[in-house]
Amino acid sequence: MKSKKLTALLLTVAMTASMLAGCGGDNAGGGDNAGGGDNAGGGAETSNAPETEGGSDETASSGDDGNKDIIDFTMFIAMPGPEINDGNEIQEIIAQKTGVRVKETWLTGQTAAEAVGTIIAGGEYPDFIDGGDGQMALYDADALVAWDDYLDKYPKLKAMYSDEEWDRFRQADGKIYWANIFQNTYGESKATTHNDEAFWIQAKVLAWDNYPEIKTLDQYFDLLERYAEANPTMEDGTEIIPYTILCEDWRYFCIENAGQFLDGYPNDGSVIVNTDTMKIEDYNTSETTHRYFRKLNEEYNKGIVDHEFATQTYDEYIAKLSTGRVLGMCDQWWDFAYTVNDVFKQQGLDLKGCNYVPLGLTIDEGMDNMWHTYGDTQNTANGVAITTSCKDVDAAFQFLEDCLDQEIHDLRFWGVEGVDYMVDDDGLYYRTEEQRMQCANTEYKASHLCTYSYLPQYLGTSSDGKNAMQPPEQTSEFFAGLAQPLVDCFEAYGVTTYVEMIGSVNKETGPWFPMYSFSNNMTTETPGGVAWTKMGEVKHEWLPKVVMSESFDGAWSDYMTAYEGCKPEDFLSEMQTELDRRAGQAQ
Amino acid sequence: MSRGKKKAKQEITWKEIKRQKVLLIWAALFVIYGFIFYYLPLGGWIMAFQNYKPKTGLFHSKWIGLDKFKFLFSDATFIRVIRNTLAMGTINLVTSFIMAIVFAILLNEVKNVLGKKLVQTISYLPHFLSWIIVTGILHDALSSTGIVNELLQKFGFISSQINFFAHESYFWPIVAFSNLWKETGWNAIIYLAAITAIDPSLYEAASIDGAGRWAKIRYITLPGIKPTIMILLLMNVGNVLNAGFEVQYILGNGLVQKVSQTIDIYVLNWGISQNDYSLGTAAGIFKSAVSIVLILIANRIAKRSGEESLF
Repeated sequence: MKSKKLTALLLTVAMTASMLAGCGGDNAGGGDNAGGGDNAGGGAETSNAPETEGGSDETASSGDDGNKDIIDFTMFIAMPGPEINDGNEIQEIIAQKTGVRVKETWLTGQTAAEAVGTIIAGGEYPDFIDGGDGQMALYDADALVAWDDYLDKYPKLKAMYSDEEWDRFRQADGKIYWANIFQNTYGESKATTHNDEAFWIQAKVLAWDNYPEIKTLDQYFDLLERYAEANPTMEDGTEIIPYTILCEDWRYFCIENAGQFLDGYPNDGSVIVNTDTMKIEDYNTSETTHRYFRKLNEEYNKGIVDHEFATQTYDEYIAKLSTGRVLGMCDQWWDFAYTVNDVFKQQGLDLKGCNYVPLGLTIDEGMDNMWHTYGDTQNTANGVAITTSCKDVDAAFQFLEDCLDQEIHDLRFWGVEGVDYMVDDDGLYYRTEEQRMQCANTEYKASHLCTYSYLPQYLGTSSDGKNAMQPPEQTSEFFAGLAQPLVDCFEAYGVTTYVEMIGSVNKETGPWFPMYSFSNNMTTETPGGVAWTKMGEVKHEWLPKVVMSESFDGAWSDYMTAYEGCKPEDFLSEMQTELDRRAGQAQ
Repeated sequence: MSRGKKKAKQEITWKEIKRQKVLLIWAALFVIYGFIFYYLPLGGWIMAFQNYKPKTGLFHSKWIGLDKFKFLFSDATFIRVIRNTLAMGTINLVTSFIMAIVFAILLNEVKNVLGKKLVQTISYLPHFLSWIIVTGILHDALSSTGIVNELLQKFGFISSQINFFAHESYFWPIVAFSNLWKETGWNAIIYLAAITAIDPSLYEAASIDGAGRWAKIRYITLPGIKPTIMILLLMNVGNVLNAGFEVQYILGNGLVQKVSQTIDIYVLNWGISQNDYSLGTAAGIFKSAVSIVLILIANRIAKRSGEESLF
């Protein structure tokens, strides 16, 4: 194989050389060059192709040794994610046990809707798909297999949700086409992390000010200002960034929806549901949101907000956070923590107090916050689905069923016993420091671990009644993995977990919650959907502009004019109809 | 062209066809290729007049006449997108066109063969980079800690960093510059080739008559490559609306979207992301129609002024 690569390289070099020689030559030079260029490219491609084929052949033959025919499925997930290596060790073990291997591909460089749209236009689907924001388009294109005829045959899969919960997945034609696999607790909840949105702050900043009570947005920025003034650089001399905001593409929720939380409402995502009047309210135009942006604008002009925030990409944002330079930001835990915390661990920055803790801020003091919602949030907007291109639908469902088997589940999230985790005398799983380090290593994750993170899974307690389904929720693991500055911080505030740290009130959310599961799937078929699309465009442009403007009031009123031009009332009235429907259904 | 006319008058006999059998087969292959890949897909244009849904397909979707076109031209975004495309296309055309000719002539004047080849090779290598890489380089170079800001600050032109991608007024120049940087060397090749075809005896004669470098460029080189210039200009005019997709798509962001979005991005947003294939197709048809009109006009002008023309 190596020699083939070499020949391809030589060929390319030779072609390029002949092209260069051609340039000094006669008339035909121009034409020849173009041809040479094409050939060189083609040569490299064709000699690479057999190589990749050879690679997959190898894995196939190693599968044959295990006297079981392994079915290879494909899966597309409309979210960016880490691709694991071919021949990943745990993937092979799972393949031996279940007879199914799933090749996952992730979103790269496109939005979810673009990627799904391209797949639909092509007409050939992967076997499994999670379409993200594009899920509805898949349903509209008749690309998905209905679950109704299969569900009863697979008891574990069916047990994921109650009948009432399954009903919420039903589409306009009354059938179920997908199941969301997140936030599903088995047995007792073991939640320790606040897996949602918050204003985050580095533990060292809180420690520096002797762990003050931070309840409001003003207090938060006041602390950031004071800290930045006293400590303008990190130990190694890099300048700190007191506050940054991510606003790339769909991730602009980091700037966009804080208004609803600051007002004390839970994450309905696109609107506020006023539970007293049962009316939909628009947080974009609320007084609180207005004050929030005024504050951001003020801090931007003071130099506290990162001057590059509006043009940074997600990768740049994560890279910035990973250096430990950024003191605080507003974001969802899952959007940064898994990558950033691993880097902190590897670089030893966790010991310097760079880890982020959540603060349950409100706009004024004395308000309840609902940044954290207790219990599972069932997002019906998208989830894992099986497509009509799948050759063996029964095998596909069987695999979804197998994914929930405790043994397979442990393999996915804990790894191999004795290698990735240990079992103590009481049957409790734990990891040694070495194993913890190893599981945070990117290379090891790609070659050894295989979580199938978008296939059915549980949180909460394992079927043995002792362990957590997933390691981060194992109480002992959580505390053992906690860096000292975090332990000190939690202790100072008299809490034990991230969830207690943010201190949200335990108020039950209505049966309509979350409303974003409806707005996420709106299409431009309806006036409300058109308004929703245009509102998104306007906000993408204006929210950063408002923050960066020199005169806030002028910019805000320009923004409001542009916003009203999108006819948000069309959108809000469709949301009201859906709220009434959901509330009515529950009664 | 003139030869083709003579041939047409010739009688086509079986013998003649047999004699040219191989040539005809080759030609037929390309005609078939062109038909399949350029003309057959045009059938999809009927989508623009339907409310196309992947579920119902091309044959069972509802006909809606010109509704999609009406939506297009009442959409302020689309009008803005046309403006952006035309503006960036024209800027690109003018700058890259002039620069390529100037560069080719300058390079031709270099007498040191080694130096000439070196410059030529280096200058056209960026052509082989993908836009992803070029935009990556640009993004880094123009970032607030990038080399451009650093140099400007060192030399005291600015006091604080400029965020180049946050201002609408910088966007078009950045796109034009990246195009120039990437394509000038490559575009110059064809002119260089045309220049080498000029009869050296013309230059010798001019030297004897006492012409200097400027005079030789003006009276021999430029007229010598004029036919090439005209043909390339004609072809490029038709490409004005292909002002680019990758650069604008990758370098654009919410702040500059008013000036950064081109027709191609609009088609992607509505056609693919919003699943409105009909609207995307309608926008595509509009683009093709404008391109054809542009080419016809340019061709007519060239013909009138007695220059080379495409048809």
